[in-house]
Amino acid sequence: MLKGFTRRFKALEVVTEEELDAIHRGALDVLETTGVRVEHDRALKLFAKNDCQVDFEEKRVRIPPWLVEDCLRKCPSSYLAKARDPKYDLRIGGNTFYFLQGMGMRYVDLDTWETRPATIKEHREAMIVADALENMHFAGAYEFYMDRAGIPSCMVMLENLASGLRYSGKAEHMGYSLDCEKFAIKMAKELGINLQGELGMATPLTFYKEVVDATFSFAEAGFPLSPATVFTLGAEGPATLAAATVLADAGMMAHIVMGQLIKPGIGISIQHGIKPMDMKRGTPRYGAVSKGLTTVMVNQLLRRYAIPSFSTAGFTSNSKKIDFQCGFEKATGTLVSALSGGNMHVFHGGSAVELFYSPILSILDDDIAGWIGHFLEGVVVNDERLAINLINEVGPIPGHYLNREHTRKWWKEEQFIPKATDREVYPVWIKTGKKDAIDHAKERMEEILATHKPKPLTSGEEQIIEDVLKEAREYYRKKGLITDEEWAVYMKTLESN
Amino acid sequence: METEILENLKKAVVAYDCEGAASWARKAVEEKVDPVKALGALTEAIRQVGDGYEKEELWLPDLVGAAESMQSATPILNEAIKRAGGKKQSLGTVVAGAVFGDIHSIGITMVSTLLTAAGFEVHMLGVNISAEQFTEAIREYEADILAMSALLTMTAPEQKRVIDFLKKEGIRDKVKIMVGGGSINADFAKAIGADGYDPTAPGAVSLARKLTGKGG
Repeated sequence: MLKGFTRRFKALEVVTEEELDAIHRGALDVLETTGVRVEHDRALKLFAKNDCQVDFEEKRVRIPPWLVEDCLRKCPSSYLAKARDPKYDLRIGGNTFYFLQGMGMRYVDLDTWETRPATIKEHREAMIVADALENMHFAGAYEFYMDRAGIPSCMVMLENLASGLRYSGKAEHMGYSLDCEKFAIKMAKELGINLQGELGMATPLTFYKEVVDATFSFAEAGFPLSPATVFTLGAEGPATLAAATVLADAGMMAHIVMGQLIKPGIGISIQHGIKPMDMKRGTPRYGAVSKGLTTVMVNQLLRRYAIPSFSTAGFTSNSKKIDFQCGFEKATGTLVSALSGGNMHVFHGGSAVELFYSPILSILDDDIAGWIGHFLEGVVVNDERLAINLINEVGPIPGHYLNREHTRKWWKEEQFIPKATDREVYPVWIKTGKKDAIDHAKERMEEILATHKPKPLTSGEEQIIEDVLKEAREYYRKKGLITDEEWAVYMKTLESN
Repeated sequence: METEILENLKKAVVAYDCEGAASWARKAVEEKVDPVKALGALTEAIRQVGDGYEKEELWLPDLVGAAESMQSATPILNEAIKRAGGKKQSLGTVVAGAVFGDIHSIGITMVSTLLTAAGFEVHMLGVNISAEQFTEAIREYEADILAMSALLTMTAPEQKRVIDFLKKEGIRDKVKIMVGGGSINADFAKAIGADGYDPTAPGAVSLARKLTGKGG
């Protein structure tokens, strides 16, 4: 079991208990009065059977408050993410905080900052780096480098997942598209792991067929669910932070009801990210202060419900480079989420909204993750660490602490030392080529690739992965989703790696 | 009377007043004001809002509010033009939607609204639209432009699948394709064979004008 970080002090709050009550009551009112649109006959019948008011023609489900609160109580306060390597299993919930691998569609060239489709080798190397980073606890192989050279789009998520399982032993999560989740679930079950299901509802208040299908698939497999309530203020959601939180609460509670009706007691975490829209460009503004505030509000709600929180504040930046803006936008959002009781945080490696993923950035982000994690661990106050006798012994100057056993014993434990920041003194920095954090991260990546060995798959495990991939390839070929031309390129791409 | 009606049409658009715009459009028809002239008043008002947007005095909610108020008046005036034997005024026909697997509607909704206000005839198919549905709509409406969006990294590659499907159906060259979405860029658009990409909704209007040869 991977420990992650533990928050050892009271969580940050930005609204009072009374204000939180008002948000919760408001969301119950929305669910009972307006309800949600659910484009899925099986789910509509399930809601109707459980005392919801269902308009089958309008596909509208109005959910009574008692059922919502009953389903909130059915959610376990924690659940297990089962990794391929058991030392990386995660217990998600309570005061524990884990960092997840981030996302980004393409590979980025660090000299030109231009992007292109990623190769098999680049995905593999990014996964080896992910396996090596000590502050990245949860891998997310499926959702970075979705633009893959030579791989048909219908197979990308599965090929990415397979690459993740081959080159990292860490826990994985999985999205859904064109039935790929069914193959992923089969692969995971045969490997004896689970995959947290990433489920995106549409805001406002709408569940399309595919997300409900995927909710059934993951829940029936007994895999934890992670419904997402992610939207922009003043566009998909209301402009005020209070109203947006009501809408988010209504959406996530509707998905919780659905999950608990399908499989009572299923583990659920809520993925959330409410951010403002750039009212000039119509694009989301990551790293905005209002995203920090809504993150804290939703974390407050989830702590009240004792349901794990999966925050996306700071998961990316609007910056197109690895630069000051990127670090600032990613770090501030993540920090407030961690301080306010988030349990999981998608973080490492992604920027330019969701355009690129970079293993170099993941190495730099690992230092931010370490900083935040060590902050969460807080301060230990006991006799040995108070060291009153020592302070009395050393006394005023010329006394100092460098020569003390207490210093030798404790300094490493009480300090966090980032691995890729520039800490050099100026003259040496000049002499050694003026290296910055990106240079240090590049060196660390080379070192990781030369030395780090993820736990290898057994031949049986490799066979399971290859068999499921083969089945999926045939399925998509039969469905006409891989043309002959694409197939030829695909096979050549696989052979050349 | 005509001056009063034209002024009130303009006022309704700049005040984001859908009911007022529709009501003054009906009044224009009743009072036999030239509907082309009335449409011209609406266009002048939306241009005024567009100028404010360019100067950063007005913002997207203002642009969308004005566009929607214009949209509530234009069908009434277009109907009057048609009854009088004239031809409906349009810069071109657009089929729009978010690709299969993508349920994010706000971007493509903004693009559709602004394209309509600019004078395009837009058929917004909604979200989660398959390659087959796009193809059918392009044929049915004889579209000049296909506008596709995909917000997510996992759905952006679906845009390529739509383009490939259009090639297979033999209609790729009959339509200009513009793509957008948070996780893509111009390189990606080029690589999948689209004709254009713009990261913003107002930019998409200029792009559509350019693709149809109606100015950028």
